[in-house]
Amino acid sequence: MDLVRDLLDKAVVDRNGREMGRVDGLLLDVTDDRPPRVTAIEIGPAVLAHRLHPALGRLAALVEELLGVAQERPVRIPLSEIKEVSSEITADVAIGATGAGNVEQLVRRLMRGWRWR
Amino acid sequence: MKKIAHLVLGVITSIGGFVEVGSISTASQAGAEFGFRLLWTIPAAAFVLAMLVEMSGRLSALSGRPYAAAVRDRFGAHYHLTLMAAELVLDFLLLAAELGGAAVAMQLVTGIDARWWLVPVGAIAWTILWLGSFSFIEDGLGLLGLVTLVFVVAAWRLHPTPSALANGLIPSLHGGDLARYTFLTVSIVGATVSPYLLNFYGSGAVEEKWTEEDLWSNRITAFVGMGFGAVVSMGTLVVAAMTLAPRQIQSDSYEQAALMFLPAFGRYAVPLFAAALGVGCLGAAVEISLDAGYVMAQGLGWPWGANKPRLETARFSGAFTLMLGASLLFAITGVDPLRLTLIAVGLTVMLMPIAVLPMLVLMNDERFVKGHRSGPVGNAILAAVTILGALLALIVVPLEILGG
Repeated sequence: MDLVRDLLDKAVVDRNGREMGRVDGLLLDVTDDRPPRVTAIEIGPAVLAHRLHPALGRLAALVEELLGVAQERPVRIPLSEIKEVSSEITADVAIGATGAGNVEQLVRRLMRGWRWR
Repeated sequence: MKKIAHLVLGVITSIGGFVEVGSISTASQAGAEFGFRLLWTIPAAAFVLAMLVEMSGRLSALSGRPYAAAVRDRFGAHYHLTLMAAELVLDFLLLAAELGGAAVAMQLVTGIDARWWLVPVGAIAWTILWLGSFSFIEDGLGLLGLVTLVFVVAAWRLHPTPSALANGLIPSLHGGDLARYTFLTVSIVGATVSPYLLNFYGSGAVEEKWTEEDLWSNRITAFVGMGFGAVVSMGTLVVAAMTLAPRQIQSDSYEQAALMFLPAFGRYAVPLFAAALGVGCLGAAVEISLDAGYVMAQGLGWPWGANKPRLETARFSGAFTLMLGASLLFAITGVDPLRLTLIAVGLTVMLMPIAVLPMLVLMNDERFVKGHRSGPVGNAILAAVTILGALLALIVVPLEILGG
């Protein structure tokens, strides 16, 4: 598998086909005596922003903290839970059991609150 | 039969959705200042747009992914974020110009200052976005947009001579202000080949679940729809050339542009011009807002779709709402919509090479378009457009200063 071509930046859906985000980063296990090994994919704006510049990554993490959506983030899905890799990546998890839907839920709550008023 | 009806509707809505603030302002200025001499730029730019739109539809139908998603997949985060940021800036400016154009249309009809109409216009656009399905937005606004055919009717009533029209279709550089001529040429290209149209069209193909079977209707919709759309835009230029140019009236405000309908429609001139301007701008404002949501959601992996309940696509709906709100605030500051349009179309030209280059690669990648890769002619034209776009991008700033 070509990590950059087949994994990085691809859309990720959960086992029910719900959008979790994109593969914003890859977690590598680097040890001295064997080649680096991918252990998990990472999803989250802080990971994406870190790829642009570490300071931006810290800023994105801080914003998530301030908004109260930082629980379970960045989302890490072990490679063992990746069910299928095609034009999108299917993870054998439920989005609700991860932090991938935190921001979506926050915006939804804001919209509901706004509608009640 | 249903497919043919769908195809006809697609072509008609493409015609109705073609004309907006950019095409009206650039075509009327070109006609007012250079007569028929810039007529050729409109079909040339529309041909490029039709090609790109057809590719965007083909990409979506075959890969199930719209352009923004495919760019992130194929080119990675850095390229995607750069393109997304540029497109969002462009959407922001263009949206403010469209809202301003629709508000000016209301001013022309009511006599009440345009600034008072900005919030109502924004509210109407947002209500359509919030309550409308994709087909309601595309088909409804496209059908309403047929009012822009008044530009063709006006041109028809003025009886332009075939030889004058034919001469206008041949590029000529003789006489006049070369910087201004080139500036308006570039502006017409920028106003026609808008990146938001590519992504909006491709997103629509995904929303409507196009497949390989829809490729033929995609081709017809793109080329016939954009072709007739270009005729409407050419109608604008012809009317300006026959009414404003002989009187040496420069079309530097929408109030002056409205005068070009006087010889054709008499006392109905201003209401008809206002209807065409207002509907064209409102339709484009809705599409640009939606495009901002599409570009962000598709590239960042959020749930999206105008056919889904808004609460199920909260970030997508929030993104288009924020874009509309931000542009509305900008428009309220009193920025001149016509001036803003020219800045936005200049920026479009600057963005064109980085917006078009991925298309060239994607349309030759079997993982995206299977066996329907672009042929050598399509590739050559797209490569030429990318190179030409890069050259235009280099001269657009000096041109804005010298000819704008």
